[in-house]
Amino acid sequence: MTDTATPPRTPQPGLVDVGRRYGIVAVLVALVAVATILHPTFLSPANLGNILVQNAAIGLVAVAMTFVIIAGGFDISVGATYALGATLFAGLTIQTGSTLLAGSLTLLAGVAVGATNGLLVSRIGVNPIVATLGTSSAVLGLAYVYSDSSSFSVDSREHPAFQNLAHTTIAGLPVPVWIMLVGFVAGGVVLTRTAYGRNVQAVGGNGEAAWLSGLRVPSIMTSTYVMAGMAAALAGMADASQLGVGQANVGTNVALDAIAIVVVGGTSIRGGDGAIWRTAVGLLILAVLTNIFYSLNVAQNWQLVAKGLIVLVAVTVDARLRSRSR
Amino acid sequence: MPSARSTEQAAVVATDAGKRFGGFWALRGASVTLRAGRIHALVGENGAGKSTLLGILGGRLRADEGTLDVAGTPVAGGSPRASRRAGIATVHQELMLVPHLTLAENLFLGHWRTRGGFVDRRAQRAEATALLDRLRVDLPLGRRAAQVSLAHQQMTEILRAVLADAAVLLLDEPSAALAEAERATLHTMLDQLRSEGHAIGIVSHDLDEVLGLADDVSVLREGRLVASRPRSAWDRPSLIEHMVGTRAVTPSARAIPAAAAPVAVQVRGVRAGRSLDGVDLEVRRGEVVGLWGLVGSGRSTLLRAIAGAQRAAGGEMLLDGEPRPLPRSVVESGRAGIALVPESRRAALVAGMDAAANFHLGRSRPWLSPQAERAVVRPWLSRFGFAADRHAVLVGRLSGGNQQKVLMAKWAGRVPRVLLVDEPTRGIDLAAKTEVLDSLVDLARGGTAVVVASSELEEVLAIATRLVVLARGRVAAEFDLSEEPRTVAEILAHGFTPEGDLR
Repeated sequence: MTDTATPPRTPQPGLVDVGRRYGIVAVLVALVAVATILHPTFLSPANLGNILVQNAAIGLVAVAMTFVIIAGGFDISVGATYALGATLFAGLTIQTGSTLLAGSLTLLAGVAVGATNGLLVSRIGVNPIVATLGTSSAVLGLAYVYSDSSSFSVDSREHPAFQNLAHTTIAGLPVPVWIMLVGFVAGGVVLTRTAYGRNVQAVGGNGEAAWLSGLRVPSIMTSTYVMAGMAAALAGMADASQLGVGQANVGTNVALDAIAIVVVGGTSIRGGDGAIWRTAVGLLILAVLTNIFYSLNVAQNWQLVAKGLIVLVAVTVDARLRSRSR
Repeated sequence: MPSARSTEQAAVVATDAGKRFGGFWALRGASVTLRAGRIHALVGENGAGKSTLLGILGGRLRADEGTLDVAGTPVAGGSPRASRRAGIATVHQELMLVPHLTLAENLFLGHWRTRGGFVDRRAQRAEATALLDRLRVDLPLGRRAAQVSLAHQQMTEILRAVLADAAVLLLDEPSAALAEAERATLHTMLDQLRSEGHAIGIVSHDLDEVLGLADDVSVLREGRLVASRPRSAWDRPSLIEHMVGTRAVTPSARAIPAAAAPVAVQVRGVRAGRSLDGVDLEVRRGEVVGLWGLVGSGRSTLLRAIAGAQRAAGGEMLLDGEPRPLPRSVVESGRAGIALVPESRRAALVAGMDAAANFHLGRSRPWLSPQAERAVVRPWLSRFGFAADRHAVLVGRLSGGNQQKVLMAKWAGRVPRVLLVDEPTRGIDLAAKTEVLDSLVDLARGGTAVVVASSELEEVLAIATRLVVLARGRVAAEFDLSEEPRTVAEILAHGFTPEGDLR
């Protein structure tokens, strides 16, 4: 029975509703204010540019993760795929001599990891956490095997294009930042303006209803994992290009960070409900917090503790809001 | 163990109770008294405030206005735990049994009978058996909850409250999902509990149940309690009048297809799932065929098999005279012009989307155009009597009746040749029922072949031109209703006894 929840007239969005929906933006504004007070040059173009550069790779993964989570899934293998992306890109560049070919093959590897996750979850019915935990271990292992637990240093004179990926700037911003920005815009448009985006929301919101409506639920779920695999591989490539070195010990925190960004933004961990702009806000909140921590000289390890607590707070708020609106 | 309580004693009294959700009063100024040894029915349309009142009485909701007294002591409300201690138990529509435990174990869930710290299964079994004997109820105590019928689950949940010494039982739509014979069993049990001195509050949409069972009836309408009287002061027309005001509630005439109307779909020997064992069915264009049977008779399975929502193990199909295999997916049946309006609104709608998004799900163009979509949706929704001011409301916040209208519009809007409708009126109010049934007749008049599966025989008889009775996965009887309409009693008298089907 839902009769108690039915107002007799068109409901006006109350102050509480607006607070619930956009409160997270207020949190961001408050944090920016704090950051500016602590660190007057916070809003300088140089610092803002720095923030974007530092978060380009993780931001891209977070956009894809938003799709995975809205479709009702979860992907903790993105860290391993990131490491695989970094090693493969560097190693294949050295082996094939072509950065372009190496990049293409690396992206394909990301697609393969995502497709594997998607098939395990959607066709075989493995729990997403368990499935991606398994692929994560396998993929990371492959990255170490491929690099022989060592690193590939790419000579910038022999392969100038390799480092150009991260170091070329367009209008003052490096390419990875542009890739992330395009990712956010495209992700937002796809999610809100296309049938595919709505299907993703329907699959996460009510998989059975989506299936009864004639949607190909397994394919839609798989497509989100493929997106995540590609994004993670691309992010790993950007990392390797930035350093000029590809190695498998990178990306340790990528999965946690990407999930944290999505959840802090207010996308529901239960699926069906979320937005790309929320992920943008989540990314900025965590980025600004990191900035504040550095200006307060908070040690790296304590930052990790703080980040974990923030995610727990976000998930708690999500659970409470949703149980109350039932 | 509850002994016979002195009857007529006021067990729960709500005085001027009011409850607000946001800025909207779901209930206001409601005063109601539940007495020991009496069954008190709360009736009203969806959104009338029945469940809110039940929630206040049961302690799930804290009233914003008014007072609540339990056995003479004021109670704050808002704490199911405190109410439970005061001897009030609520059985919700969504049952709260643990599927993998046996009925016996479920009966003692949370208040196990123990010996030396271990659960004493033998004592539990003995106590449960004694209770069943006393109430003259038969339950398969050793079976797991997931394996027994909905009726048995329902009874288990009620008995659990009885075993936990609840003097007051509040039941939200206990018979909504039960077929006629199962209801009778439930009613016998409630009768017995009443005679043992329990105060019973019951929300029901079934007026026959209310009139046949209750000692007191309270009618709610639009958040007000409009009348609370003993059963003797009510009859069916007066109840309906109080529930809906002046609106008419009888479905309009049925659609009579032309005698020569071609057969739209025909299936033969359909076998599927555990229940369906070789069923033939044929539906002509412009015809409404009623499919009636008890829970477990296979009526939902048959519809799902025809629509490809469930794989059939065997059987063949003729669509417009063309032989073809039974569809293996919803996509396939959709292409063939077959649409299924599923049984469960919760399973078939995306709660977080509005009516238009739900309507278009699965057939939007790649680029969404909200305006164009809304323009397409509007006439379909209004055809089913969906109020225009609810278009922007998320489906999860709509009443059951409005959700059903969205659901019907969604599949009717695909303009199928064959529309299969499973339980279209479960748990929705009278006015919405009428609108839903009328619109089905309307679709049939437009040439659609309509199949309605329902456990509400009376409704099926009101709109169908043919009635197919299913029992144990087979067609048990078939009645032509186009010449002479029949009553429930006639159908039941026609040699069909449903008791044999109670598992």
